Amino acid sequence: MAITSIKNLKEFSTVNERFEGAHLLCPGCAHSMIVRELMNATDDNLVISSATGCLEVCTAVYPYTSWDTSWIHIGFENAASAVSGAEAMYKARKRKGTLKDPDAPVKFVAFGGDGATYDIGFQWLSGAVERGHDFTYICLDNENYANTGGQRSSATPVGAHTTTAQAGRVSYGKKQKKKDMVAIMAAHGAPYVAQLAPNKWKIMAKGFQKALETEGPCFINTVSACTTEWKFDPKDTIHITDLATDTLMFPIYEIIDGHELNILYRPKNIIPVEEYLAAQGRYKHLFKPENKHVIERIQKEIDEKWEYLQRREESRV
Amino acid sequence: MADKMELNEVEVWDGNYAAAQALRQAQIDVVAAYPITPSTPIVETYGAFVANGYIDGEYVMVESEHGAMSTCVGAAASGGRVATATSSQGFMLMVEVLYQASGMRLPIILNVVNRAIASPLNVRGDHGDMYAGRDSGWVQLDAFNAQEAYDLNLCAFKIAEDVNVRLPAMVHQDGFLTSHTAQNVSPLSDDEAYEFIGDYKAIDEMLDFSKAVTYGAQTEEDWHYEHKAKQHRALMDSYVVIDRVFAEFKEKTGREYKRVESYMMEDAEVAIVALGSTVETAIQAAEELRENEGLKAGVVAPRCFRPFPFEDIQEVLKDVKAVAVLDRSCPMGAMGALFNEVSASMYTTTSRPIITNFIYGLGGRDFSLEDAKHIFREQKGHADVGYITTQIQQFSGLRGPKLGFFESKRSK
Amino acid sequence: MKGVLPTDRRGVRELGAEDLVGWDEVTHGVVLNSFDGIVEDVAQVAPEERPYSDFNSYTATVASWRVIKPVYNRDICIDCQNCWVWCPDTSIISRDKQMLGIDYDHCKGCGVCVEVCPTNPKSLLMFAEAQEPEDALAKWPEKKKKEKK
Repeated sequence: MAITSIKNLKEFSTVNERFEGAHLLCPGCAHSMIVRELMNATDDNLVISSATGCLEVCTAVYPYTSWDTSWIHIGFENAASAVSGAEAMYKARKRKGTLKDPDAPVKFVAFGGDGATYDIGFQWLSGAVERGHDFTYICLDNENYANTGGQRSSATPVGAHTTTAQAGRVSYGKKQKKKDMVAIMAAHGAPYVAQLAPNKWKIMAKGFQKALETEGPCFINTVSACTTEWKFDPKDTIHITDLATDTLMFPIYEIIDGHELNILYRPKNIIPVEEYLAAQGRYKHLFKPENKHVIERIQKEIDEKWEYLQRREESRV
Repeated sequence: MADKMELNEVEVWDGNYAAAQALRQAQIDVVAAYPITPSTPIVETYGAFVANGYIDGEYVMVESEHGAMSTCVGAAASGGRVATATSSQGFMLMVEVLYQASGMRLPIILNVVNRAIASPLNVRGDHGDMYAGRDSGWVQLDAFNAQEAYDLNLCAFKIAEDVNVRLPAMVHQDGFLTSHTAQNVSPLSDDEAYEFIGDYKAIDEMLDFSKAVTYGAQTEEDWHYEHKAKQHRALMDSYVVIDRVFAEFKEKTGREYKRVESYMMEDAEVAIVALGSTVETAIQAAEELRENEGLKAGVVAPRCFRPFPFEDIQEVLKDVKAVAVLDRSCPMGAMGALFNEVSASMYTTTSRPIITNFIYGLGGRDFSLEDAKHIFREQKGHADVGYITTQIQQFSGLRGPKLGFFESKRSK
Repeated sequence: MKGVLPTDRRGVRELGAEDLVGWDEVTHGVVLNSFDGIVEDVAQVAPEERPYSDFNSYTATVASWRVIKPVYNRDICIDCQNCWVWCPDTSIISRDKQMLGIDYDHCKGCGVCVEVCPTNPKSLLMFAEAQEPEDALAKWPEKKKKEKK
């Protein structure tokens, strides 16, 4: 594959963009940062499928498209199936010799939000990965159903306020833990699985390239800070993402062939999670005295997860 | 290259096997499927063809019927021939994606082996699934036996993929009664069959990277209505292509298909309108009644459920006095769908025959020769006095007290 | 900033102000073509060379979303491309490793570019939408001294 050079940002910036402006995503939305970076990480042809969600409804509203590549949206749950169909058709037509340009390099990519990935499209994704199609699935994880106004998903973390897991007089927001999608996808035996973040642009671009280069189904969970539903100023998207990675709320790591775990980013100074929580409106109720235990729980779970990831990495199993 | 298969002039195939053979001959690029009774043997037989070198395309066994149709949509948008098969609950799981396939104008072929819809769970045939697809924007062709299941599959590809249609198409056959009943089938040779269907013509394909395409855009109130209306018009107008393909098929095989099949209707005084394998039962009943009781009975069978052959129904029923329309699907709080459509056709003519509705055969309940004869005789009774002497909707073959609804308000 | 790339069709259409064509003219299967005609290997073609179709959002503008806008100061910029990599709206125009300016047709005024700008003083700052660029540049702050900790 033709890899875009990402040695430094200057070189990276010479690519010709294939994701166009005047899409309708919110100002400061991390989705488009991630999508742009994926598309800029390669100059191969792309077939992209998108699940219903913010990205889809904001980039293909008739009579406009923001995509300069082949792109398809079917429904909320079936982005992985759509891309498997395209990939299967590619194989069949390549074999039969009916492709217009049989030598053109092509990569198959699916985008879904956490609603499409963790919840409603879970089965479709699992099936497509099990079948071994050659594609990369990227979850734009903003930890809620942002497109419909901020309802809980199984990716919503403990203590966050959403419209269907509200903080109130007798509630501190979501009570259940976030589903560990990265572990689940690794358990499928997918050859490359990772959790990445756009603030660490180089690690993310390299991870994308690794996934695109790897034959077979790859899964990447990306943290996509949501200015509207996490409730922070649009200018702070990267700052919030820095806090997410440096508090280890979102550890950055990869799992190869279902077992080999590598931590890709170790913060020099690990920041207490309070700082991350305090920067977002969705957590503001946690700073009431009666909810102090929730912050303690979040910190404890972060520490345990980090310990686990480090042990996994060391043990090489 | 896939091996060709030598076929006898007459084979003994059931409906499922006949459909699978037609799919093999169509040289499909992608079959994505999930098995469900009673359509499973289509997928299994196709799988055996794959395993033995008769298929060049991809065979993708997905995790659900929703995934199957979704994979078909992704594949069809990538510029090749696509087909699958399902029944009943699987069909219901697919329904969301059926609308998406037709809205994107993707000519996918879906074999529907008709089966009842739960609850209560039932694996036998009725038309609940076929009816659930009637607003989905697909061409719906109905086979009454194994030969037709084979023939209509070949026709379906040619109709759906025509540049003037570009809509997906279903080929229906009755679960077990057709799908699992071995009958004589005269197939075409592999070469003849493929030559009839022709090569797939890719339009707006995602794998032509020199023309980037976006599939599945959102359309709000300024655009949605026009798109849907245009799709409706394409389906309404598809009859021209359907007629042409049927004519070409007749030329090739001598077997004639019409959008509305009719039997003994030239001088018929009473008629049954029905779908599926019931048609053959009704024909036999009509023949025997003509022979033994001098009752001028005829049978009308829409071959094409969508687009609904509104004008052809008007023509074929124009001289009939009483018509029984049989619905093999429980309408749940209304008259049967076929009854409503036939009634609407005839209400807009001057002849306006007496029309009544029978619900029958749900969940595979047998519809006997005697049941059909009884219905014909009842129509004769209406015809003789000139008004409906029974309730307008009746249930045929149901145990317990007689169930029926509504009295005619027309003068006695 | 249209002058930067004089040949292109960027932002020529107001969102929502398209001609509402009749149902006979709407595209087949709701398919949208990104370009008019054939473009081989899009990734090798610079945006200003591409035959964008009317369906491509590149030809539309979202300038009206903005209440504040980033202004770019070429004199201070070190071409690090931080603003380019993190712009969510593909609105930092960079060519040959150089930052050329801001695409005001597609910029929504989120301010991320200003936040990630590492120079001192910053090479990008937010100003009121109505502010003339020359006036903004005239008001540019001096280099800040490091705060003592």
